[in-house]
Amino acid sequence: MKVSIDWLKDYIDIDMSSSELAEKLNLSGTAVDSIKRVGADFEGVVVGQILKIEPHPNADKLVLATVDAGGGELSIVCGAKNMKEGDKVALAKVGAVLKGEKLKKAKIRGVESQGMMCSAVELGLREEADGIMILDAEAKIGSDLKATLEMADDILELEITPNRPDCLSMLGIAREVSALTSNPAKRPALSIKEGAKKAKDKAKVEIEDADLCPRYVARIIEGIKIGPSPDWMAKRLKAAGIRPISNVVDVTNYVMLEMGQPLHAFDLGKITGGHIIVRRAKKNEKMTTLDGAERELDPSMLLITDPSGPVALAGVMGGAESEVSNETTTILLESAHFNAANISRTSRRLGLISESSLRFERGSDPNGADEACDRAAALIQMLAGGDILEGRLDAYPKRISPLKLSLRVERVNDILGTDISADQMKEILTSLDIEVEEENGAVLKVLAPTFRPDLIREIDLIEEIARIYGYNRIESTLPKGETVGGLSFEQRLKAKMKSSLISSGLFETVSYSFVAPDYLKKAALSEDEDCMGTLKLKNPLNEDQAVLRATLIPSILSTVEWNLNRSIDEVKIFEMARVYREEAGAELPVEKVMLSGALAGFAILSEWHTKERPVGFFDIKGVIEKLLSDLGITEYAFKPINHPSLHPLRSCELEVKGERAGILGEIHPEVALNYGFIAPIALFELSVDALTGGARQEKGFIEVGRFPGIRIDISMTIADEVSHKEIVETIKKSGGKLLKEVKLFDLYRSKEIGPGLKSMAYSLFLQSGERTLTDEEASKTREVVVEKLKEALSAKIRES
Amino acid sequence: MAMIDDLQSLKEEGVAAIFSSSSLKELEEKRVALLGKKGRLTEAIKSLGALDPKERPKFGKVTNEIKDLFEGEIAKKRGELEAADIKRRFEEEAVDISLPGRKPATGRAHLISQVIDEISEIFIGLGYFIAEGPEVETEYHNFDALNTPKDHPARSLMDTLYMEKEGLLLRTHTSTVQIRTMKKYSPPLYMISYGRVYRRDVSDPSHSPMFHQIEGLVVDRGITFGDLKGTLEVVAKKLFGDFGRVRLRPHFFPFTEPSAEVDVACIICRGSGCRVCGGSGWLEILGAGMVDPNVLNEVGYDSEKLSGFAFGMGVERIAMLKYGVSDIRYFFENDTRFLKQF
Repeated sequence: MKVSIDWLKDYIDIDMSSSELAEKLNLSGTAVDSIKRVGADFEGVVVGQILKIEPHPNADKLVLATVDAGGGELSIVCGAKNMKEGDKVALAKVGAVLKGEKLKKAKIRGVESQGMMCSAVELGLREEADGIMILDAEAKIGSDLKATLEMADDILELEITPNRPDCLSMLGIAREVSALTSNPAKRPALSIKEGAKKAKDKAKVEIEDADLCPRYVARIIEGIKIGPSPDWMAKRLKAAGIRPISNVVDVTNYVMLEMGQPLHAFDLGKITGGHIIVRRAKKNEKMTTLDGAERELDPSMLLITDPSGPVALAGVMGGAESEVSNETTTILLESAHFNAANISRTSRRLGLISESSLRFERGSDPNGADEACDRAAALIQMLAGGDILEGRLDAYPKRISPLKLSLRVERVNDILGTDISADQMKEILTSLDIEVEEENGAVLKVLAPTFRPDLIREIDLIEEIARIYGYNRIESTLPKGETVGGLSFEQRLKAKMKSSLISSGLFETVSYSFVAPDYLKKAALSEDEDCMGTLKLKNPLNEDQAVLRATLIPSILSTVEWNLNRSIDEVKIFEMARVYREEAGAELPVEKVMLSGALAGFAILSEWHTKERPVGFFDIKGVIEKLLSDLGITEYAFKPINHPSLHPLRSCELEVKGERAGILGEIHPEVALNYGFIAPIALFELSVDALTGGARQEKGFIEVGRFPGIRIDISMTIADEVSHKEIVETIKKSGGKLLKEVKLFDLYRSKEIGPGLKSMAYSLFLQSGERTLTDEEASKTREVVVEKLKEALSAKIRES
Repeated sequence: MAMIDDLQSLKEEGVAAIFSSSSLKELEEKRVALLGKKGRLTEAIKSLGALDPKERPKFGKVTNEIKDLFEGEIAKKRGELEAADIKRRFEEEAVDISLPGRKPATGRAHLISQVIDEISEIFIGLGYFIAEGPEVETEYHNFDALNTPKDHPARSLMDTLYMEKEGLLLRTHTSTVQIRTMKKYSPPLYMISYGRVYRRDVSDPSHSPMFHQIEGLVVDRGITFGDLKGTLEVVAKKLFGDFGRVRLRPHFFPFTEPSAEVDVACIICRGSGCRVCGGSGWLEILGAGMVDPNVLNEVGYDSEKLSGFAFGMGVERIAMLKYGVSDIRYFFENDTRFLKQF
């Protein structure tokens, strides 16, 4: 809503600057988006008087005017024909600024022009003009034109919340300002001169669907003359963002802006029988609206019709056939009240939003329709002449009365934390034109006016008290209740998971939850892989955001792709986010939190002290092993797996407490090909729940051995098929109680060792909790372990 | 007197030899040559036995003096040579300290997580707990229970992302969690919730179809609008420092009344007016209000006995303001050059 301060002053005295007013409005719930100064699109234009007009010596179409600029005579070349000697004109002297451009001295067809007589277009006041602007004869010669025209104005752009239709009008804003400043607001004086002829003899109004149209007021005006509106009205409409059309249409818009009541003027000559019938549309009924579009209607929509068909789409837009034209002499002026929700639905269904529908869909004042109708009729008569026929046509089958509400003084202060007195409350409500019928110090009996559809409960009145009293005057306190907050075990663990990965050098990412329907394909996944079912959106913005992801793997790979494509050689990322899977029989899909990540390119980049190393399976496994350790998960196993996204022999499944927790490994060459990856990539995806389930709530203490231990080494040659895990298990089983730790410290294959064999070297740490170990005890343990390795795994032990 | 002369020359030669040693190894060799089992002085002392017992003390005194002298000189020389040795070793081990260090792995939490954690910590400190709820929601939890009229524009297919399954949508705010939490627990309730929310907004520098919200809810006996103000002031101060002045402007939300839009003093110009705040000196950072009685009644709380406040803010907006991020899309592109900055 654009509010001209100049116009607003018609209804209320404003004794502060526009920015001070804006501040007051801002702090009382009417947000001011901007303040624009208008009418200042020219500088240095004065009132001049034409003393003499002579023909131009060198051009037939031009004249030479001598103009008194108040302080000297100027010679001006002009092409217009509409002026005569003695006229007062808008004179731009050399140096004046018009639409941002400085006016220079110019020679026109050999004759010097010392300035320019301006048209309304050149001054930016109108879009069209016939010739130069002729000013009022009273205008003072030499005075600044801006002051003369009272041009300068501030336009406040207001953001009106949807609950306040009353503020979509100048009078509504004036009421707010009045409550904020205590200056009284005044309504425009109504002086309607009715003719002798009776309106009811000319026309008839009938409401068939009163649920959608509780009230329909109309007036008839005969003998009008359509023409342009005067400048003052055109200017105000333009300031509000409405294009002036003709005196009658402009008045309907003007009164709508003034009072918030949308109005419509019909050419009565085009209304069959002068008979208005307000009814729902029939099935398959059609009509052409003012904008020339043919609209297909349905029975949910309300129409203004005559006996031969629709003449307007009620509350939204008039019909083309009954439109006021230059030939119109008699009009029917409609001022009605429609059901807000219905107008909203019709407007949305047809994709047709108008100034009228915007106001009706928020709720107009049923009891303001008559005043607006009279105001518009009087203005039309003033601007277009004609006779206002006697009497209003007013169909109002069931009067809508103000709501009676009770406001408890104590309740107000309990909710706000204030100490506002009953008198203060009464004063605030009264200042907003909310009538207080009764007040006994504890309870106020209030009538919520019909122009305030937002006031239906006590709390609505409390809000009114709060915002006019001033939020800034309410004292800040803190709740006094006792609280026990904090993070849950699960929440703490999630934070731990993230910090473990971060300390492993991974960056957290956040990607969209929605993906393209074929998002699985590139990662070689299919719907039966754990990602059962795809959840589709009904109205996605585009195909790339059409379904909810059931796995994070494709997103992680896309993020890797984004970074590799930007010449980033080392990509280490993870994301913790939900995946969505359909659950048969459940109301909502299952949302599972997953933890997924990838290492791409180099695990270590080349530096002056280090050689680069490409990412491999053991880098990702190391990250996960550290994660398990950080979470205190001890019961876990890595098992072989065949996962379509992963290299079949460089991938595995992680089991936590015997339950599948997720997968990790290098990506499958086919997936690399799909993405065009050349760099090696390893990824993981784990279930946060499974990890949480395996984590220890409390970490127990394990005695740190205080006696010195002994480290022994065992090197062996062993068949390739024997896994590290088998060897460690064998060592542990045979190592006895003294064995505290087994660590692989060397692994290699070579020609010397021979095909199908590998050399492995383990370091065993032995320690007793009761005494210092002897070398004999250590050798004895070594012998037992060595024997077992030979026997169970056919290892060949290499004695060093 | 030949013996005396011999001793005199041994003394002179010995001192010269010690003095001329250029390394610890050489010094040790010289020490052995002089004082070792078969060293010259040792031999000289041994030969004292052959002397007239009367002469012995005299020569004994001289040899002892020489021994003391040698040992003293050797210790001195050793000290010198050791000091030189250490100096040489340091020189050999010198590094160019301007070379870059070996960096341990460094990852980072996403800026969104950092901001969420920062805000959560404030509320954990105030005794709140963190509630969670689903992102795919029912229309009931997202709109109906939050007092949103059936024909409210926010419900339209233009503004909200709906699921194909009837009645389900992607939550448009985290307020859904308030409803679920109130239905699950009885008051008093001091909670926050955060997470992903969705709107049908085309992606541009200031819009994203997915973003994050963090929101809080307090329901207890005697909770006032003043409590809301005080709480938000604490949050703004912790989040934006001492300049975190707060201003509440009346506004309209379906699920709170009275409602407010909350501004914080512009963190760029600190209130004097600049380009970021559009000259107003204020930045809008959150919406808040007293929980609407309809919402309390809907979840089975007695709105006559209980009152509460709620507030919600966009995490990306806070992050953009606080860190000067110019485009919301950076958050979801996950360019590691962006991620590394925070």
